[in-house]
Amino acid sequence: MDSAASGIQEPFDLIRLSLSERVFVKLRGDRELTGVLHAYDGHMNLILSDVEETIMIVDQVEGSANGQNTVNIAKRKIDMLFVRGDGVILVSPPLRT
Amino acid sequence: MDDSTPPPPAPPADSLPPPPPPPTMTGSPTDFLKGVVGKRVVVRLTSGVDYRGLLSCLDGYMNIALEQTEEHVNGLVTNRYGDAFIRGNNVLYISAAEPL
Repeated sequence: MDSAASGIQEPFDLIRLSLSERVFVKLRGDRELTGVLHAYDGHMNLILSDVEETIMIVDQVEGSANGQNTVNIAKRKIDMLFVRGDGVILVSPPLRT
Repeated sequence: MDDSTPPPPAPPADSLPPPPPPPTMTGSPTDFLKGVVGKRVVVRLTSGVDYRGLLSCLDGYMNIALEQTEEHVNGLVTNRYGDAFIRGNNVLYISAAEPL
């Protein structure tokens, strides 16, 4: 029953091991963040610094076939950010050696 | 009127034999989840996005830790993650992707 070599016993261990590391966060509303993880709690509220937010905006082209939609990507930088946990879909730590 | 009753309908001779019963899976949902830890799984979120990877562990909120994760949208791989934490409230189902 021991989980793989990483020695992770519960999912939050993955987050704990990523403290002070740059993480990728996928949010509701087609938003993604990368930033340095400073703190988290059981709701997955996060404190990130040096954040880049990527927002994917799909423009429906009227009267055209599906797949004609254009995706605009907006980016912005934020020095320090509190993320409310209920918006979090996925958190991925940096690739570990 | 003679009172002959119509014969009961005979099963068609060429009908297929009944399918074999599915493999009996006994046990609770918790037993299933214990059984898939360490196996390859597909996690579908309510948004329809699939995550395929090795299930490291999960907790009572159905928060999930996956390894070697591929993100699939509409059948196409859209992202890969070495490790991924998925917040449990987004999970629709967890499906075993290899025999248990």
